[in-house]
Amino acid sequence: MSTKTKRSFEGVATVVDTDVHLTESQADLMPYLEGPFAELIENAGEKYGGFWGNWYPAAGYFSPMDTGRIEIDSAGDPHELRDWEVEVLGVDRAVLNPTQNLGLGYVHHDELSAALAHAYNEYLLDTYLDDVSEFYGSAVVSPQKPYAAAEEIDDRADESKIVSIMFPTSGLHPPAGHSMYDPIYDAIERSGLPVCMHNGVSGLMASFPLQWRGFSRFMEAHAFVNPAQHMVNVASIITHGVPERFPDLDFVIMEAGLGWIPYYIHRLDEEYSAARHDAPELTQPPSAYFEDQFYFTSQPIEGTGDPNYVRNVIDAFGGQEKLMFSSDYPHFDFDHSDALLDIVRGGFEDGTVENVFSRTADRVFGF
Amino acid sequence: MPEPTGDHHYAADLDELEGTDRLLTEVNGLEVAVFRVEDDLYAVSNYCVHQGGPACEGRVSGILTVDDEGELIYDRNGEIVSCPWHGWEFDIRTGEHLANPRYRLPTFDVLVHDGEIYIEW
Repeated sequence: MSTKTKRSFEGVATVVDTDVHLTESQADLMPYLEGPFAELIENAGEKYGGFWGNWYPAAGYFSPMDTGRIEIDSAGDPHELRDWEVEVLGVDRAVLNPTQNLGLGYVHHDELSAALAHAYNEYLLDTYLDDVSEFYGSAVVSPQKPYAAAEEIDDRADESKIVSIMFPTSGLHPPAGHSMYDPIYDAIERSGLPVCMHNGVSGLMASFPLQWRGFSRFMEAHAFVNPAQHMVNVASIITHGVPERFPDLDFVIMEAGLGWIPYYIHRLDEEYSAARHDAPELTQPPSAYFEDQFYFTSQPIEGTGDPNYVRNVIDAFGGQEKLMFSSDYPHFDFDHSDALLDIVRGGFEDGTVENVFSRTADRVFGF
Repeated sequence: MPEPTGDHHYAADLDELEGTDRLLTEVNGLEVAVFRVEDDLYAVSNYCVHQGGPACEGRVSGILTVDDEGELIYDRNGEIVSCPWHGWEFDIRTGEHLANPRYRLPTFDVLVHDGEIYIEW
């Protein structure tokens, strides 16, 4: 049964989709796994055929995908994915991110996590980026192994189709401002690429174990975790002075909706006014770092039924220069490009429409 | 049996619905699905009011709900269609989105005459 409609996106010169997901599986990645793990698995034979679910622990919720009502459940092959992005969403350039490997930060085995990051990056380049001109991608790194991550970044930085580094903040511990990650930030800053941060529902288990135990339904877990996880890591990054130590690093904060952004910028400024001694490395208020170094992707836009709400929120965090369209396709809560276009066009100048749909992303990702 | 008038638009022959729960057709440029629920026919617009997905091409199902004692039950099987893009559930009879009736797929009255299905608007 067809899952496409016949309409096409019209209205702006160029559309960049800053968050599209591959749906990589065990079978996809294993051929790219290198080093001792590849040999170890080879010797294990068939009996460990189902190890993928052990390596990346899952929170175990009954998700909207599990009912079968949502028929879009995979990225498809490179040409199917391209057809959707170009024909249905009207996209000219897309940044591909992982699905399972967003959870690298809570893979228990540190060395394995680093090996999986390398395998994913090989798979990404080999299967999706090399053949499709519209596709670019984020290389993932293992937070557990900062020096291996830095080497991975150094190795990928010159690949023309790699336009960002995905720092897997989902379930990350300790939080992202900890100095153990400085080698990663240092390598990313050196590469000239932005650092992307993107969470997922299973990270709840690692970062918020009590809430995971208490939440028995997907809906409550998913509503909470994406912004909450960013709040943890952004507070940590700002308080511990990461943008001060790495002033040329751009942060791309993804997939948590919009309303929390102006709220949190203001809140951190208020906190800093009273507790500046807790952030002695900072030389300016938190909002100034957001102004200089932070960007946000749009999906999932909350409140599309109330366009004025969305426009006010965009304006409240300077989204005219900070917001970048993302679809999140093929995940269950993806946004069509038209949903954001209608809202932005209804309240901002043409230049803002161009910024949101391409200019800001072109600048941040440097395609 | 009422006769079709100028407000009725031919959609399909009735026998096209045999052995299936719905048919998709285009009437005056509008994609419309005609569903059979029990013995009645319902015509629903195939354009999702959420983000434009093909709402009537998704799974026809029931819903998970609670009975009077608060026990989980599966109810209304065959009365609900879900958009295949985001899984939004719609009542085939009314077009209403179950989570928020503020969102509604347009529905049309159906007339069957002489083995032919007409929809009215």
